[in-house]
Amino acid sequence: MRNEIRNLRTAGGLSQQALAEAMDVSRQTINSIEKERYTPSLPLAIALARYFGTTVEEMFHAANHN
Amino acid sequence: MPQTTTSRRPYWRSSWWMPGFSLFLGLVILAAFWSGGEPGLGLGALGLFTAIAALFLLGGRSDTLRGLGGPGRDERWAMIDLRATALAGTVLVTYVIGAWLWEIAHGDDGEPYAQMGAIGGLAYLLAVAVLRGRA
Repeated sequence: MRNEIRNLRTAGGLSQQALAEAMDVSRQTINSIEKERYTPSLPLAIALARYFGTTVEEMFHAANHN
Repeated sequence: MPQTTTSRRPYWRSSWWMPGFSLFLGLVILAAFWSGGEPGLGLGALGLFTAIAALFLLGGRSDTLRGLGGPGRDERWAMIDLRATALAGTVLVTYVIGAWLWEIAHGDDGEPYAQMGAIGGLAYLLAVAVLRGRA
């Protein structure tokens, strides 16, 4: 799923490792989300949005879901 | 940046969990071989599982080892584990059904494959019945 995590992370001067530790996930999981290979669970998506002070809708760009 | 999501980690995310479990498994296999009169094979199995335990404990920062071993096991690894288990289960069930068909096609009674297939089928139906109420 397209997302803004890499942009927000680099804008904040954060490494993948630092963000991973803050979210209690592995660095590879952050990398996979940024590369749109892995869609995070709703709790992790909410935690990421709160961490960056934004909303899930602004952070993740889902295709229309019917 | 606001707060982090620090929470108490479950026991199975300890770096000692998988090494300990591997050693326990090795000891169980040793006991089984020993009671079957083959202590040498049991010691060999214990040696193998001790090596696996050491690999998990000293595996450094390998994503795969940390994900399989516990400390790096997050939701992505849980998904990988679930899919890998489903794939392994599908391969196993396919083999069991194939072997059962082969056996009965050659005039045998199909055992133990019929029993294994029945256990697998019942376990699946039971799991669906229980899990659909929770999801």
